[in-house]
Amino acid sequence: MKILLIEDEKKLADSIISYLNDNAVSCEWASDLHAALLKIGDHDYDCILLDLMLPDGDGFEILKELKKQNKTEGVIIISAKETLETRIEGFNLGADDYLTKPFHLSELLVRIQALVRRKNFNGSTIISYNEIDIDILSKTVKVNNNPVDITKKEFDLLLFLTGNKNRVLSKGAIAEHLSGDMADMLDNHDFVYAHAKNLKNKLKQAGAGDYIKTVYGLGYKWQND
Amino acid sequence: MTKKLLYKTSKFYLIFIAILIVIAIPISYFTIQNLYVNEVDETLTLRKDQFFKDFGNQFDNIDLSHFNKYNKDIKLLENQNIKKDTLFYKDYFDILNNEIEPYRELNVPVIIKNKPYTLSVRTNMVESEDLIISIVAIFVVLLGLLMLGLFFINKRLSERLWKPFYQTLDTIEKFEIDKIHQPEMPQTPIEEFNRLNTSIEKLIKKNTSIYKSQREFIENAAHELQTPLAVFQAKIDTLMQNETLGKEQSKILISLNESVAQLNRLNKNLLLLSKVDNEIYSNKDHFTINEIIVKQLDFFTVQASSKGIKIITEIKTSVEVEANHTLTEILISNLFMNAIRHNHNNGLIMIILTEASITFLNTGSAEPLKVQKLFSRFSKTKPSKQGNGLGLAIVKKIADLNQWQIDYNFTENLHSFSVKF
Repeated sequence: MKILLIEDEKKLADSIISYLNDNAVSCEWASDLHAALLKIGDHDYDCILLDLMLPDGDGFEILKELKKQNKTEGVIIISAKETLETRIEGFNLGADDYLTKPFHLSELLVRIQALVRRKNFNGSTIISYNEIDIDILSKTVKVNNNPVDITKKEFDLLLFLTGNKNRVLSKGAIAEHLSGDMADMLDNHDFVYAHAKNLKNKLKQAGAGDYIKTVYGLGYKWQND
Repeated sequence: MTKKLLYKTSKFYLIFIAILIVIAIPISYFTIQNLYVNEVDETLTLRKDQFFKDFGNQFDNIDLSHFNKYNKDIKLLENQNIKKDTLFYKDYFDILNNEIEPYRELNVPVIIKNKPYTLSVRTNMVESEDLIISIVAIFVVLLGLLMLGLFFINKRLSERLWKPFYQTLDTIEKFEIDKIHQPEMPQTPIEEFNRLNTSIEKLIKKNTSIYKSQREFIENAAHELQTPLAVFQAKIDTLMQNETLGKEQSKILISLNESVAQLNRLNKNLLLLSKVDNEIYSNKDHFTINEIIVKQLDFFTVQASSKGIKIITEIKTSVEVEANHTLTEILISNLFMNAIRHNHNNGLIMIILTEASITFLNTGSAEPLKVQKLFSRFSKTKPSKQGNGLGLAIVKKIADLNQWQIDYNFTENLHSFSVKF
């Protein structure tokens, strides 16, 4: 998977690139509008991460240029600006997703994966991990072809964990991911523990490996040892 | 105690009228009486002169008994021992009216047949008394009417004169600094009021611009903070992947992570407040409060259950409102979160929705909260781990925007926040 990151803040770009590279996503970086336009002209990407406030112009220019060149890259806007207008304008100009700064890198990664899956849709909606099959469309899980009875939150958690394989996910990041719109209203992250425990038990009972590891104090990690 | 402006001027006017009338009655009475008595005295003297002119020096021919019999108010009496003309009052019994009546009398010494006599000329003063009273009454009534007339004219005139002032007052009263629309000062033909209006307009403009730049400052500061916050968050996420982290480092990382989340929320709330100020959420929809509660109930039930808090809903009816949907969601979720955050373990939350209001009741601290600063920004009653002191300020702001009334009560150990639609 090859993506283009358009972001003027180098420190943030470094972190994003390093996190994505470690998850088998190759990431190119453009720090301004000019560099970004050149890269778009030369290459095709699976996904573009776009900051709206760039030193030499408005990130919306990229969206307009993509439209002009009839390119179908998925675009996720990553911006500090968050008003209804910029969101609507972004979506109208062809952006696929909108992530407001600050965000968890794990969240960014699953958003990229979801977007790429949507874009490269070619019949298969199943993500497989060893004996586990996750059907994105029907939101069902099978272990060794036997269906596992799983709640919506557990399904979301499973997808989040498998999407961030071998990465430590903090309880906070998981809680925010599972809460969606309501993330700002979180009072505690205790429910993450219950969901993780239940998911772990269900997978274990269905005969799957013990992939969900508790990382002391920090959170959880999907790992095959 | 404060009084209205017109009351003040009218009060002095009325007091003046009262004093004037009280003083005018005796003064006019005595003056007129005095004038009348002088007139009567002159008449009496005239009648005396007439008498002397008619009879010349032929007093000796007067038949005293006849004279006294046919003249009622002029008589010749036996010597009364007077040496010169004397004027005085004297009461006589009136047979016709059967009462004692006051008279003015002039006594003049005369010599008839070498014997001293007294010529007595008199006038009844009863009618004059009535006349004086009538005159004074008419005078007082006229004076009263004049003063009352002036009073009402003055009142009307003052009202008209002060009208622009009251218009200005109304405009200022309606002015709210956090509203985008500036008040329009009324035009008046009076120079002083125009000066007043111009100065107020200037003041409002200056204050609004200061307020606006302050608001912009908060907004920009919050915006600018988002990028470093994003870097902060990303670096923590990256650091977390380090395999060599020990227990201590993990603890530090987690507390850093919590602080970033807290900063992030604070920042978002500041941005939200400035967005509400900027009327970004001005579009309105029709929707029911019920749907919002249902939508949020699952999330908050999970949050509450971590603390063993029970949520009871008492939804009596479906309540439709016309408001901004996003903001109403924020209002309700903030009240919801508030009820969980400031609750104790194994506590209780009650949500009562009636046609006119929504009420969140929750257990919590045993003391009622201080109401004065409850809805101000950054007014924390207790140091709370996650609260940033903006939640209730946001609730209040949204309620104000929709002209909903928000009240806090503490009864039977329950804190209650109630929003009246």
